[in-house]
Amino acid sequence: MNRFNKKRFCFLSLSLIIPVILLCVFVVYPFWELIYMSFLEWDGVASDRTFIGINNYLQLFFKSPDFWQAFKNNLTYLFIHGLMMPVELLLAILLSSKFKGSGLVKAIIFLPFIMNGVGISYSFSYFFSPIEGGFNYILTKMGLEHFIQSWLSDPKIVNYVLSMVSIWRYMGFHVVLFMAGLASVQKDMMEAAIVDGANVWQRLRYIQIPSIRTVIDFMLFDVINGSLQMFDIPYIMTAGGPNGASNTFTIYTIDTAFKFNNFGMASSMAVIMIFMIVCVQLVQKYITGQVRRKESSND
Amino acid sequence: MRKNKWVLASMVLAAGLALVGCGESTGSKEKTTAAAGEGSDKNISCTLTLATWDVTAARTFDELDLEGRFQELYPNVEIDIEEFSAEPEYFNSMKIRSSASELPDLMFHKSDSMYQYEEYLTDLTDTEANKNNQIAAEYMVNGRVLGVPDRKTNDYVFYWVDMFEEAGVEVPDTWGEFVEVSEKLQAYFGAKDPDYSAISMGAKESWTTYPFMEYGPAAESGNGYYWDSMTEEDKPFAEGTAIHTVYGKVYDLFGKGVFGKDPLGITSDQSKELFAKRKGTMTLSSPMFLSDYKADGYDPSGIETFYLPFRDDDSSEFNLVTQGDCFLSVTEHSENPEVAKAFLEFYFSEAWYPDYINHISSDSTMMPFHKELDEVLMTAPELQPDVVYVTYGAGKSDFINMVSETKFDCKELGAEMLTEGFDFNRRMEELNQSWTDARKKLNLQ
Repeated sequence: MNRFNKKRFCFLSLSLIIPVILLCVFVVYPFWELIYMSFLEWDGVASDRTFIGINNYLQLFFKSPDFWQAFKNNLTYLFIHGLMMPVELLLAILLSSKFKGSGLVKAIIFLPFIMNGVGISYSFSYFFSPIEGGFNYILTKMGLEHFIQSWLSDPKIVNYVLSMVSIWRYMGFHVVLFMAGLASVQKDMMEAAIVDGANVWQRLRYIQIPSIRTVIDFMLFDVINGSLQMFDIPYIMTAGGPNGASNTFTIYTIDTAFKFNNFGMASSMAVIMIFMIVCVQLVQKYITGQVRRKESSND
Repeated sequence: MRKNKWVLASMVLAAGLALVGCGESTGSKEKTTAAAGEGSDKNISCTLTLATWDVTAARTFDELDLEGRFQELYPNVEIDIEEFSAEPEYFNSMKIRSSASELPDLMFHKSDSMYQYEEYLTDLTDTEANKNNQIAAEYMVNGRVLGVPDRKTNDYVFYWVDMFEEAGVEVPDTWGEFVEVSEKLQAYFGAKDPDYSAISMGAKESWTTYPFMEYGPAAESGNGYYWDSMTEEDKPFAEGTAIHTVYGKVYDLFGKGVFGKDPLGITSDQSKELFAKRKGTMTLSSPMFLSDYKADGYDPSGIETFYLPFRDDDSSEFNLVTQGDCFLSVTEHSENPEVAKAFLEFYFSEAWYPDYINHISSDSTMMPFHKELDEVLMTAPELQPDVVYVTYGAGKSDFINMVSETKFDCKELGAEMLTEGFDFNRRMEELNQSWTDARKKLNLQ
């Protein structure tokens, strides 16, 4: 090996080894520790840790109704965010057309996303307050007093209220992503479709949506990931209450670890969360793959 | 003073400055001051870290120059205050740090947390601070004093005197009277104002239910260590037990609408504001409420206090739950344990403690340093002089393990009682069942 090749080999080796070491130290090792901890009974403080096999997992799945309640609440966020995606796409199409003040409208829609999540949650907490709350005030002024509810303390509606706050926060981000995708659709293709007499729906169905499929894939990933890991909004607005009705997976995990001193159980919940996200992603990938294959065979 | 603020908190300032009351002999005072100066090399150069969740106390450390005063004894020792905005965040952080052997030199504890951190805390049994403390020995952990409480406190019902007069009610002496007073107030003022509540309690944060749910069983039974006694029973929530009785009474009160239209929808800050606006006549809290109230710029004139009566009739004893709080401990992770111990001695000596305790709202725990109560708080012992003090312990190791296993949280249960459709008897039965299972699992049967 000549000197130049030796240097190149060294450089390439270092370029490979350093990221691998970093990955091992900051990702692989903590992940391994997390899995190991999920098989322990440990309060997070004492030095003695007892190996209990899969007991934490068994207890979670078969003896923890609160765990399933938290999971169900996460699914509420996922369902509502999923429902809103077509609305966000329509808004993006609307805003992609040029009209006077479109820049301002785009900025206003995007603004909640760049605002601090904690601040948003606090603001909405007061907005939905039963006493001197802004929302009830608006309803009263509009003569709609009979619609007034215990927005954040009624277990039947609290998750929907929190989901709407989440929608308010993330809608702008999703709309902007859709707009970026729509901007990449080839103009000549759209013009050709118009010349061929394709209506708005047909252009959307056969040109725009297929062209922004990567954006949709990313968005689905973001929505699934975000919904399953929802934390700041319910934590600040209701702290998971009343009576755990708005607990999410993450809040429940944190409570298990810190409030109830069960780090082993909390670790097993974290492992389940990772496993769930991977599973949902695989299912999503499979479905979108099938749709693509079907479409290409139709073509 | 160098301050390491982990979480920025924009909360309260310390309350009014009172004169130092020194009720005990000067001999013991001299002893405490001398102890503060004993021990390690005075010229040692190091930094001691002191962690606290009490924002008011941390401000007092700053205002009264804790570091400067300690440097009169140890000129080259810096005090690094680690301030957390709330107790849960504090203990979350400490848990992580304990496993990394990174606990601060000195840290504050609750009575139950000392059991969890037992292996990391230094024995303080031989310190002068412990010997001069009224209640430290009551909180021994397996025969060792691991923390010295810097205050003791009990709860009060703060109320507007003129609103009581207007509604024609008097300070209650029994639980039944308390319920009756609450109902009368609600009926009288609630008719004029839909936002009114006889008792201001923002139960959105479940901790606000603690005067009923946490102290109730101890007050009802007269046993401050009631939680620990529960670990010896399979069905501690069964009918006839003190906890079943008192929770039944509380549930009954919660169902009477005396907490306003939606207590679960408002925060403790909001309830304080509503009380200040006289949209609430009573509020239950510790003396810290008064400090916060004043620090928020409200005028406490017109407010008086009484103790919450849990007893059913005048002939029974009036149990008042009192507890030591903010237990100062020296950790085993300290690189300078002798200096840390010297700091602890200094903290409870005349050089620091009298000024400090007069700056905060709670009562003194140190025998040589007596403290006069704030005049708002003075009315309670005047109205109810014959109370029986019940020293409260928040639970030892077995109880902590049972809580981990059953996820029993008395304050959450209080918030749960306020939800619609709550079935008291079924919930008690569920708790009994999970308690039995947990005892079996933890080999406590």
